[in-house]
Amino acid sequence: MSIYPIGECLPRKDGRAKVTGKSKFGADWNVTGQLYAAVLHSPHGHAKILSVDVSEAKKLPGVRAVLCGACCEVLYGHMLVDQPIFAVNKVRYYGEPVAAVAADDLRTAKEAVRLIKVEYEPLPLVDSIDDALSKKAMVHDDLMAYQALGGVSPVAGTNIVDTYTLKHGDIDEGFKQADVVVENEFYCAMGQHTPLETHVAIADADEHGCHVYTPAQSPFMIRGVLAKAFGYRVDRVRVTCTEIGGGFGCKVEARLEPIAIALSRAARKPVKIENDRGEEFESALCRGPVRFRMKTGATKDGKLVAQHMLIHWDTGAYTTFGPRINFNAGFGANGPYHIPNAFVDSYVVMTNKTLATAYRGFGITEVACAHETQMEALAEKLGMDSLEFRLKNVLRDGMESVTGEIVTSMGGAECLEKAAEGIGWKDKPRRWVTEDGKLRGKGLACYMKLTGTPSTTSAMLRVNDDGTVTLLEGSRELGQGVETALPQIAASVLGMNPERILMSPVDTAFTPYDKTTTASRSTFHGGNAVMLAAKEIIEKLKPLVAKKWKVDLASIVFKDGVFTSKNNNTLTLHMDDIGKSGIMKEEPPVLATGTYGTKALWDAPDKYHQSKRPAAFWMIGAQAAEVEIDPKTGTTKIIRMGAAHDVGKAINPDSCRQQIEGSLVMGVGNAIMEEMIYQDGVLVNGNLVDYKIPTSMDADFEMNIALVEKPDPEGPHGVKGIGEPGLAPTAPSIINAISAACEHRFTTMPVKPEDVLFRGE
Amino acid sequence: MTHKTIKATVNGEVYERTIPVCMTLAEFLREELGLTGTKIGCNEGECGACTVIISGKPMNSCLVLAVEADGAEVLTIEGVSQGEKLHPLQQAFLDAGAIQCGFCTPGMVLTAKALIEENPNPTEAEVRKGIEGNICRCTGYNRIIDAIMNEAERVRGDK
Repeated sequence: MSIYPIGECLPRKDGRAKVTGKSKFGADWNVTGQLYAAVLHSPHGHAKILSVDVSEAKKLPGVRAVLCGACCEVLYGHMLVDQPIFAVNKVRYYGEPVAAVAADDLRTAKEAVRLIKVEYEPLPLVDSIDDALSKKAMVHDDLMAYQALGGVSPVAGTNIVDTYTLKHGDIDEGFKQADVVVENEFYCAMGQHTPLETHVAIADADEHGCHVYTPAQSPFMIRGVLAKAFGYRVDRVRVTCTEIGGGFGCKVEARLEPIAIALSRAARKPVKIENDRGEEFESALCRGPVRFRMKTGATKDGKLVAQHMLIHWDTGAYTTFGPRINFNAGFGANGPYHIPNAFVDSYVVMTNKTLATAYRGFGITEVACAHETQMEALAEKLGMDSLEFRLKNVLRDGMESVTGEIVTSMGGAECLEKAAEGIGWKDKPRRWVTEDGKLRGKGLACYMKLTGTPSTTSAMLRVNDDGTVTLLEGSRELGQGVETALPQIAASVLGMNPERILMSPVDTAFTPYDKTTTASRSTFHGGNAVMLAAKEIIEKLKPLVAKKWKVDLASIVFKDGVFTSKNNNTLTLHMDDIGKSGIMKEEPPVLATGTYGTKALWDAPDKYHQSKRPAAFWMIGAQAAEVEIDPKTGTTKIIRMGAAHDVGKAINPDSCRQQIEGSLVMGVGNAIMEEMIYQDGVLVNGNLVDYKIPTSMDADFEMNIALVEKPDPEGPHGVKGIGEPGLAPTAPSIINAISAACEHRFTTMPVKPEDVLFRGE
Repeated sequence: MTHKTIKATVNGEVYERTIPVCMTLAEFLREELGLTGTKIGCNEGECGACTVIISGKPMNSCLVLAVEADGAEVLTIEGVSQGEKLHPLQQAFLDAGAIQCGFCTPGMVLTAKALIEENPNPTEAEVRKGIEGNICRCTGYNRIIDAIMNEAERVRGDK
């Protein structure tokens, strides 16, 4: 049964402001009296700081504050408190902030930065995962000396900041049952989120508190980190959220906010700081490199029996959310398959590179690259069609997953079928050569991802005097459409016109708490809180209706947006007419809250990450790609892609499709274009010409998208998540298709033209 | 720092300002005139977010010095709407679902507007090529192309 307006493609509420240029993104905000900041970044990957001389910079007229590590020894971090605002004693990555200036205008600030003299003594570079493991040099002298905030497990005397082990069944016994075994290594290069809007922050701070304006994905998390770093009471840190010009994970962590606060406190004035594109590449956040060593076994009739994954995530010079990626991706590292014996041995290492964080899926694209390379390789070895092979092994309701959970609401098989159908899989060979000598191939990939659990949120609904409803909830509009979806969910309970429900801007000063806008969690968690609040609104309106009609409260009935009285069937009042009806006049205001958390349903995983319920919900989906390779140039052209994702229930199907379309094109960048390249510790392609992201010309392919709806019993109307999923199987399906076309197993992301041209050399 | 006085027409309004000669047009629009609808994504002509129309041509306003706009007519996103009514092209973007985060949208709309004015009968390939210099990280582009094709069709009177 459908409930209006669930499943309606309503236009996005933030559309008009965005298409007229009225939306205020981070850089569009200004505060009276603000100063402008510029930062001096490290030119070395790893070096001792011998001296910092700021005297000339301080003398420049218009300069109001100059800070460096020696005069600002604040550490911060989301998981491990290891990151200085400005490098202290040594620099650990190219681009690390060493000093900063606040001045009356930006040109003066930049000029002053040029006057700061720093003497460095280069140190041996920890440039790769192997460097980190060999302890060639230590990125941090003692990881154990830092305060750990939970979810992080540094190993003393190493460059390893976190470990994760998943053990299911008996891996050795499993391999004994295997008739075929494949072993591969897969490496994902470093990439960047590259939102069009760079990081920016304004802070107005003193020793009592601060007010920060920032395009934050997770304002409450950032509030907590800032409070801790500067010793503020949490309620004295106010985070006012601006519109976000793209996030994809990179605006989840505190980044420029601490610099702005430190400068503002020193200068006693508000300070604005904005990354230019070069700074964004070298010192914002990225998707860290990762290496997989995989071994997978199957019986000769194509049943998976064992899989072993050794994973090394490179999180860069400071911990950031690296351990969270390790944790989330660890659960999904075996893919959406029934594998009776599985082992994941996973580590987060530190190197002298810029910092890794969540990237639209917390490592799930990368683990999908690994397990889907294995599935293709096994299917090939068994002489099976890889779709058939996957269908034979995909998790179905009632099966036990590698995390020890009996899974339900699994749309994996249907997603695989529909994704394959999207490129006409069954009518095409694995590879063929076109009449003009181009190589065509098809590839498939699927994935499975949990949402962060436990987590909490809260929502408030206020009925205004004209009967419109204001929704306060902390989920951030990143373009995914949450400002439209949550009002749709509220309208489904209130039975009112969704146009009459608007979501407020987010500000920690007045918005009820929400953990974060990540992990595709907002519609699920926010939706549940909103539904509870909406139900309470109805209950609070009932006595006002009864009073107006002079009937018993018990006689009031509410259905489909209409109040009626069992005692008198001539009395009706629609929710859209509440304002006009006058029932709220001079009555205490009608407002309600809804709070939702997933701790109660969560079964805390044991040390081997076995749990009856590790996640509030799982996301699952599949994609198929048909590609064409020009053997003369090595370039890959995407011909068509089929995508099918189990969204549980599409609140706004058009929004869901938009998330998938955008992910497909972003995934093309991941698969064949994007790589941050370091040479001797220095980023050499930190601009949009040398770091290529897809343009309209790269998006010229057919997209066939299917939304699969296997309702989640816990989700509002059955909802799961769709913000990240579209990206996860895109790159692996394309890479598998390139491998098929070239008859060569590619085991890197990206696969660039030179990789194709010189394959096997 | 050398300053110069310029007189530019922006969205039909004449502005006379004395500005540093090194100021870009993007900075002039955002900081001097408060027209923050023009976005700066890279400040080096690589992303197209700051596109405005100068005397009929779409340009990256971060690559144009404000002094070069002396005497010119500049159209920014704030001048595209027709009073309180959206320009049909803006409506076409909304109808096609061509907007996600919205940061590229102003530049994209102006590129599209200039494109249709120059060629009201573009092929899909011409539109795709025409917006190549405007990067969008969210939408995957195809809905933007749909919006532009729909608007071109309307302009031609086919719709």
